[in-house]
Amino acid sequence: MLSSPVKPQNYKTDVEIDWCPGCGDFGILNALILALQELKIPNQNVVLTGGIGCSSKIPHYVNVNAFHSLHGRSLVHAEAVKIANPNLEVISAAGDGDALGIGSAHFVAAGRRNVDLTYMIFDNGVYGLTKGQASPTLPFGEMPKSLETENIKFPVNPIFLGLASGFTFVARSYSYNIKHLKETIIRAIKHRGLAMIDIMQPCVTYNNINTKEYYDGRLYDIEKEGWNPLAENENEYREKVGQAVIKSLEWGDRIPMGVFIEYKTETYDQKLKRLIPDYGVRNYVFDPIEKNGKPLQDITEMMQSFL
Amino acid sequence: MKDLNLMVAGPQGSGINFTSDTFAKVMAREGYYVFSNAELFSTIKGEHSYFRVRVNKDVVRSYSERVDILIPLDKSSIQLHLREVSRDGVIISEERVDDDRAEIVPYRDILQNVANKFNRPLSEFNVMKNTVALAAATKMIGLEEGKLKKVIEENFASRPKIAEMNNAIVDEVYSLFNPKRELNIEPTKPAKRMLINATQAVGMGKVEAGLRFQSYYPITPASDESNYLESVMGKYNFVVEQTEDEIAAINMAIAAANTGVRAATSTSGPGFSLMVEALSYAGMTETPVVIFYYQRAGPSTGMPTRHEQGDLLYSLSAGHGEFPRVVIAPGDTTEAFYDTIESFNIAERYQVPVIVLLDKAMAMSNNTVDLFDLSKVKIDRGKLILSETSSYLRYRFTDDGISPRSVPGVPGGLVTIAGDEHGEDGHIFTEDPDNRIKMMDKRMGKMERIKKEIDEEMKVKFFGRSDSRRVIVSWGSAKGPILDAMQSFNDLSFLQIRMMSPFPADEVLKYLKGKEIIAVEQNYSGQLAELIRQKTGLETNARIVKFNGRPIAYEELIEAFSAVPKKRRVVLTYA
Repeated sequence: MLSSPVKPQNYKTDVEIDWCPGCGDFGILNALILALQELKIPNQNVVLTGGIGCSSKIPHYVNVNAFHSLHGRSLVHAEAVKIANPNLEVISAAGDGDALGIGSAHFVAAGRRNVDLTYMIFDNGVYGLTKGQASPTLPFGEMPKSLETENIKFPVNPIFLGLASGFTFVARSYSYNIKHLKETIIRAIKHRGLAMIDIMQPCVTYNNINTKEYYDGRLYDIEKEGWNPLAENENEYREKVGQAVIKSLEWGDRIPMGVFIEYKTETYDQKLKRLIPDYGVRNYVFDPIEKNGKPLQDITEMMQSFL
Repeated sequence: MKDLNLMVAGPQGSGINFTSDTFAKVMAREGYYVFSNAELFSTIKGEHSYFRVRVNKDVVRSYSERVDILIPLDKSSIQLHLREVSRDGVIISEERVDDDRAEIVPYRDILQNVANKFNRPLSEFNVMKNTVALAAATKMIGLEEGKLKKVIEENFASRPKIAEMNNAIVDEVYSLFNPKRELNIEPTKPAKRMLINATQAVGMGKVEAGLRFQSYYPITPASDESNYLESVMGKYNFVVEQTEDEIAAINMAIAAANTGVRAATSTSGPGFSLMVEALSYAGMTETPVVIFYYQRAGPSTGMPTRHEQGDLLYSLSAGHGEFPRVVIAPGDTTEAFYDTIESFNIAERYQVPVIVLLDKAMAMSNNTVDLFDLSKVKIDRGKLILSETSSYLRYRFTDDGISPRSVPGVPGGLVTIAGDEHGEDGHIFTEDPDNRIKMMDKRMGKMERIKKEIDEEMKVKFFGRSDSRRVIVSWGSAKGPILDAMQSFNDLSFLQIRMMSPFPADEVLKYLKGKEIIAVEQNYSGQLAELIRQKTGLETNARIVKFNGRPIAYEELIEAFSAVPKKRRVVLTYA
């Protein structure tokens, strides 16, 4: 039986990793662990959720609370964990099929909430675990070796969709640029609100087009070219998000990476407080609901309202 | 005493529910037992709808076919419901009707007088026609007008001007309307009873149980419960989350439960269908999540605002693979309250998903209920760990098959949860056949344990004499009309089955073996009868079924009880 003894501040489990040798996911795992080490968040206060697919096995490899959920539902689990216990640091991992195919309704809805969490999309253009079918981000007309026919569907643009859905932190990074990815993860975790990172992550087994060689020459850092993603208020946000959308449309010889938008606005816990004054004051998990088996809520007034 | 049955009928949106709710409230305050039933279309305005209120000084648990006071809010309502009005009943009408039961109320004069009093055009008062009829009804019963006015005032507490206008109408009716005759109703003593439906009972149960997270996607007839909870979440400090779809609703409830809070979701058939993949996940991950399932008439979109108990077998089998689940079916508003609390206890004690099966009839029938006895309420969170622990394994094998349950944030208690088959540590890279057998035994073994440990009263309730030859067997909201109809017989008893999974086969055999078994169900095929056969080998002698979208009126059941078991299948048709 495998087990993962708890080692404080050690963010790696002993679980054997079953990704293909050379898989882009390794870079993401390393960057995430480096980010957690730098931030020194106690292991027990981190929850890492996954969906289904190669990407979503990552919760088993990181020595934190691991919620390995269902296909497409990683983000939903993450949102609920954070709502139930806002003291936790919540990170959600998903593949591009997870996030933008089967889970796309959640993607759009999450923007409306702005729950304070980090969403990492492992974006490789294929469904690896089912042998390489086209995913929603595979460019139109491409035919990686695993496909039976060329891809006749237009791709979803995760950055554009993230911006359109109201994500308050939208970034792109690259699994072979661990330094950039680690820094981006740290910024995403520190961001108060919903932070999404679209991570270019070559699938060495099935996608022979969007490879390391493909991305190495194309990805450029928009922030190094002078883009400042920070929006401190609604007016700045309106102006910047429009420019960020234009940047997000770039794809080809040059592919933009870096943070597209970083908008400081009301997070979901703050918004919930508008409706529930004591939200976050008493922790829902650790504040008891009973004493010696007797309930601590008293509904007498509720009953009386029906007399 | 003899019932007093009021029916308000007319186009949806014309104040039908205001009229019937106000009448029900006034009568409940007087100390009468009240049972109401709402029949409406899946539309916001316009279509013909009707609400009934049955009043009696003795307990009433169902609605009646008879109408003693008909309040038609449009012309067609008179024609549609005239035949239901009893011989000594009353039709409160604006226009002349060729029927000596009609009481003509001078609506126009009354409204004109009130309009003059407020110095406003008559057109503004036309929407208050229903108040004219309501006051006419209470005057005929001999009710003091102040009692009606008090309820109206409370209903419009946030709009005092509207209350004032409506109450001016009441005054005008009481002085201008001189009915040909009075409707006698036996006096009773005032009593303190709530007038509530099951969505409110469940809502109160959830708050008392310590619910912290409820997710839902709007659907009839379940969302009334979530909306009620939304109205009190600020005061009682919990979150109601309206999600993008039912898939998100159930997944959020599961994740919240795994985070350590009491979590639930509420839905109806179409929404539950979307939740099924995650239900299987909850079984696999041993997540204590509770699903409140308000059945309505299917299949597919079916008749969204109409009643049916068509999803019993579905709720028992939905989900891929085999996993333990508990299904509880309360039979009335009071049971809905206590069962709600117990559903969370069972979910957390055994770490299983629990489904509470309710239905449209319960969700939309306001009835008088005694105040809940909160001293009876117990909370059991099972093996939940909220303080420091060590060498923790989420799915540790234990003697009783239930693992200690840590949650994120507990020092030393890191949790790994997975829907893939997993080892004791929750990691998924073991498809080892021996581990699979042990894990299946661990999970499925809970079913036997639950059967053994749960009290009989939670599983079944028996009514009547144990030596009666004929035994009715039924479940859910059919309980009310059955108990009401049984009073006309002395050779009938009734077994109410309350727990559907794990099925209480021993208890059912104890009460049904050697009897003439008559199943009463609000579905086409007799799903409980099928379940009883599957689990006990007992065959029902007759099945009384109803599937026209309307709940059972007790009178049609009296007729059916006389016909069975000679007649093996009776289809109830009253609407």
